[in-house]
Amino acid sequence: MKPRGVSTMLGVWLVTAAILCPQIRAQNNKPEPAPMKLKVGDAAPDFKLNYFDGSDLKEVSLSQYRGKSNVVLAFYIFAFTGG
Amino acid sequence: MKAFQQNLKQLEAADTQVLGVSMDSPFANKAFADQIGVTFPLLSDWGGDVTRQYGIYLDKYKAARRVNFLIGKDGKILEEQIDRDAIDPKKIVDACERKKLSR
Repeated sequence: MKPRGVSTMLGVWLVTAAILCPQIRAQNNKPEPAPMKLKVGDAAPDFKLNYFDGSDLKEVSLSQYRGKSNVVLAFYIFAFTGG
Repeated sequence: MKAFQQNLKQLEAADTQVLGVSMDSPFANKAFADQIGVTFPLLSDWGGDVTRQYGIYLDKYKAARRVNFLIGKDGKILEEQIDRDAIDPKKIVDACERKKLSR
């Protein structure tokens, strides 16, 4: 009787572990980053934005660089943060 | 932004203009640029229209995601770096260098 009790306990434990394990693993996975609306190969939407050069507001558009140079658009969250 | 400043010479040599963009005011951005020694323009998307147009507005922060786009002379997107990957611009610098070589 005793050995069977032990094996039943082991069986129950294994079944429980098998059920819980994937859930625990799923919790540890980082959420996938949200997909991007614009993908490589898409046309970048034109814009006009200002910056302050110390004395005046200057306007910059994406289209002014068309055919002249590549553009890196580096979006950042807030001024005075790292990166 | 500092990382781009460190690579600015390389990028400029590869015909690439760097533009920072955030939803801060132009004056906050100027103060930020001066503080960290950035010499390229930090554009102000006050209100977030462009950030939304590019699909990277985060409701949670009321601000943009950290994303770098490399846009070619034809106006098409050549590379994207998203969130944590966007902190180190090496991928973009390398892509610019490759373009320069392949010309």
